[in-house]
Amino acid sequence: MSFSLMQVQEDTVAAVDTLSKSYSSQWEASAGLEEAGPVMQAMASNDLIFIVLGVSLIIWLVLLFFIIRTDKKVGQLEKKLNNSNTD
Amino acid sequence: MRLKPWKYVVALWMTAVIVGGFLIPIPEIPVLEESARNLFLHVPMWFTMSVCFALGLFYSIKYLNNPDLAVDRKAETATQIGLLFGVCGLLTGALWARFTWGTWWTFSEPRMNLSALGMMIYVAYFVLRTAFDNPDKRAKIAAVFNVFAATTIPFLLYIIPRQLPSLHPGADGNPAFSEITAPELRYIFYPAVIGFIGLAIWLIDILNRYKKVKHQIEQPL
Repeated sequence: MSFSLMQVQEDTVAAVDTLSKSYSSQWEASAGLEEAGPVMQAMASNDLIFIVLGVSLIIWLVLLFFIIRTDKKVGQLEKKLNNSNTD
Repeated sequence: MRLKPWKYVVALWMTAVIVGGFLIPIPEIPVLEESARNLFLHVPMWFTMSVCFALGLFYSIKYLNNPDLAVDRKAETATQIGLLFGVCGLLTGALWARFTWGTWWTFSEPRMNLSALGMMIYVAYFVLRTAFDNPDKRAKIAAVFNVFAATTIPFLLYIIPRQLPSLHPGADGNPAFSEITAPELRYIFYPAVIGFIGLAIWLIDILNRYKKVKHQIEQPL
């Protein structure tokens, strides 16, 4: 099996092949990284795997926040209900 | 308002599993390459689903012994979360298959099709539940159905696929996890299984408490 993103791109009518060339010089994000701070350089190392980790962590932490919030809301309802039952 | 301590443990544990899963160096495996890290995500989906369905079976049998609607509610909740993880397993498996086997879905792959069949059996459980207005009748029929549904799962997911030729690990002529998996992967894989099961129990807990509160509110005073 050979799957190449380039083949997909060749069939399109896009004026600029954005997969092999930059769309705009302003978007050459990794170009100036040599001058960037050490944190940004470390983030951009290892074929950008840390960016995927960051995206995954953002999704996980947002979901986790939502789970905790829902859990607490249910807990408050339980408390309210128990208080009204004992009155 | 504080959560129970074990929930914070699950939250931190899963965060550590995600970070570790991305960062540990893994050996070069032909075809799989970096997608071998999917082992930490795709396989625990099925483990977690099995645990949830087993829990559902336990509560269904408990209900048949002692008809208490609270027990039926627990059986339904565990099965709901189990189905959620099963659907995630199917979807992640299809994506992984596209880039390693070359297809989203193939009808010559027994494990893929039989697990989809297993999901449909569990969808039928929820369809069946909607068919009754009387809660006692619904609980009883659903509990009996769940005993049959849970019985099919070991056959559909483990026993039959192992007898048939397949690309999926753990089939005839294709050794299972124990023989082919690099030991490095296990340092994350086993914690991931525990973490996802913990997360599932957390979700079951929330959903179950929500249903209990809802039931108490809707009760005629």
